[in-house]
Amino acid sequence: MRVATTARRRDIQVAYLLLAPTLLLLLTALAYPVGWEVWTSLTDLSPLKDGPTAFVGLENYRHFLADPEFWRAATVTVVYAAVTSVAKLSLGVGFALLLARPFRGRALVFLAIFLPWAYPASVSVIGWYWTLNPPIPTAYSVFMGNVKYAVDGVLGGGAWAFLSVTLFNIWRGSSFIGVFLLAGINAVPPELFECAVLESKSAWRRFWLVTVPLLKPFLALAVFLSLTTAFADLANVWMLTAGRIVYPVVGTHAYWLAIRGGQFGPASALSLALVPFLLAVLLILFRMFDPPEKERA
Amino acid sequence: MAQVMMKDLNKKYDEVHAVKDVNLHIRDKEFMVLVGPSGCGKSTTLRMVAGLEEITSGEISIGDRVVNDLPPKDRDIAMVFQNYALYPHMTVYDNMAFGLKMRKFPKVEIQKRVQDAAEILGIQELLKRKPRQLSGGQRQRVAVGRAIVRHPQVFLFDEPLSNLDAKLRVQMRVELKRLHERLETTAIYVTHDQVEAMTLGDRVVVMKDGWIQQVGEPLELYGRPANKFVAGFIGSPSMNFVDVKVADANGALWAETQGIRVKVPPIHTSRLVPYKGQQVTMGVRPEDLHPASGSDPREYCFDAVVDVVEPLGSEILLDLRVGNNTIVARVEPTNRVKVHESTRLALTPDRAHFFDLKTELAI
Repeated sequence: MRVATTARRRDIQVAYLLLAPTLLLLLTALAYPVGWEVWTSLTDLSPLKDGPTAFVGLENYRHFLADPEFWRAATVTVVYAAVTSVAKLSLGVGFALLLARPFRGRALVFLAIFLPWAYPASVSVIGWYWTLNPPIPTAYSVFMGNVKYAVDGVLGGGAWAFLSVTLFNIWRGSSFIGVFLLAGINAVPPELFECAVLESKSAWRRFWLVTVPLLKPFLALAVFLSLTTAFADLANVWMLTAGRIVYPVVGTHAYWLAIRGGQFGPASALSLALVPFLLAVLLILFRMFDPPEKERA
Repeated sequence: MAQVMMKDLNKKYDEVHAVKDVNLHIRDKEFMVLVGPSGCGKSTTLRMVAGLEEITSGEISIGDRVVNDLPPKDRDIAMVFQNYALYPHMTVYDNMAFGLKMRKFPKVEIQKRVQDAAEILGIQELLKRKPRQLSGGQRQRVAVGRAIVRHPQVFLFDEPLSNLDAKLRVQMRVELKRLHERLETTAIYVTHDQVEAMTLGDRVVVMKDGWIQQVGEPLELYGRPANKFVAGFIGSPSMNFVDVKVADANGALWAETQGIRVKVPPIHTSRLVPYKGQQVTMGVRPEDLHPASGSDPREYCFDAVVDVVEPLGSEILLDLRVGNNTIVARVEPTNRVKVHESTRLALTPDRAHFFDLKTELAI
């Protein structure tokens, strides 16, 4: 009995030893920055300010909660994340179903669908920018200019910018989600789909009763990835609107505050603002694509 | 009441001609087994009956309806897949009810049918479980149950026992046979396992390279194989094949090769006359060879050297060398022959088979 306990203790020690590198990495690369950010959000840390950094409690949070600019950015972020996720998922499912069955020229279609994702974002984003805001005066640039004014005229200033960012995100993301879901479909034994074909003529019924439940973990993971990237999106918004943030999202807002304004405290608070909301959504999704053992049973 | 007819059935993929001119009449209530090595076209044939594969040419009818252009759902068939094809997100009950739900059967009817099927298969206790909580044998039962509840005109089985371990396979084989006797529904069953084919089938279709080789009752295939392929495929261990020369001596025909000189059994004599002086293939099953005793006519005996002894308990398999040929004999478990020893074997004359060397057809 004693021998067994000693052996077990040694096993546990070895386990910790083996885990140590990962833990170290997590602590330095994840826990420390997040901890630092949370702490900073409770202070008035700023490189522009002389004197010691003061602890201000929830002041930064209170400040931006009272700021209509924040609520605008938060709304835009949520709408941006929701709209792009729904669109990307619908398109992605379509792409995946299209590619799941063999047909002539399938390889080419696959390439066409995957290209937006495979192409470096920094380059394609410039392509989009120039497509939507042509840099050289031509008949096309005049046309696009008119479209921009028409859209802004109907939906309000900045709508065109928001639309182009959204379109870019959908264009690029649906490509990825399509290929991702295709992998999901391919992971399902074909008999599961064939069995449904034997029972129902309606592709629509089969889609909802068989395909969607079977792909649920993949769909949840796709939404997960889509939401997290949209919430954290800064680069695309920034580049597509050339830094003129007419429709700020939380990311750009925080960036503006911290890098341009030097207000680290408020910026930290701001960037943490949507985290609880995001975490709640992610937790639900996480349980969908990786249900706990008890529910599996 | 459903017979299945296949007329000049062909399936061509881009490069592969998978099923060639299949003509088959499966009678009502018959248990028909399609057997053959992988790639012989048996599964493709089954899938064409199901409607999962398009028919390149030819005609399939179920009952008195030509089903070529009917969607699978309207063919009144139910299929059991090799990997069970159970939906992991549904309970056993929902899996079994799936087909009926898709067809919008009333709830009460669904419940009754699922309960009945569960009772027949002895899986009432499992109805609330998910497939991943079941053993392989239980999953297979659920898959069969899902087919039963549909009360189809024809059951289609695509290698349903291949994923089970050997012991369970034998057990499920018996259960399927019992089930068929009880339900009296036409069944088409695909397998690569000739033992399954022999034990389950009322009749068996042997296929190879897309062609039907022979159709017949199990013992007919075993006793009178139409060609060398069927002869070698049916029966385990496989039939021994030895190329021999047909020689004429002392007013009788003899089959000769290095180390063997046996008389052509009387039942074959007339058919082998045209082959006089030519090579043919002689086939003898391992069970039709036995250690020679005094009562065995000398003209059916030959000597062989034992290479390997495989005691299986109920019998012993001897791998032997005769001239350049290796043959297998199945002998009594009491046999005490040792490796490297020479032993005298006798063949059961009227059980020998002869095949044309070129066409491989039975002579």
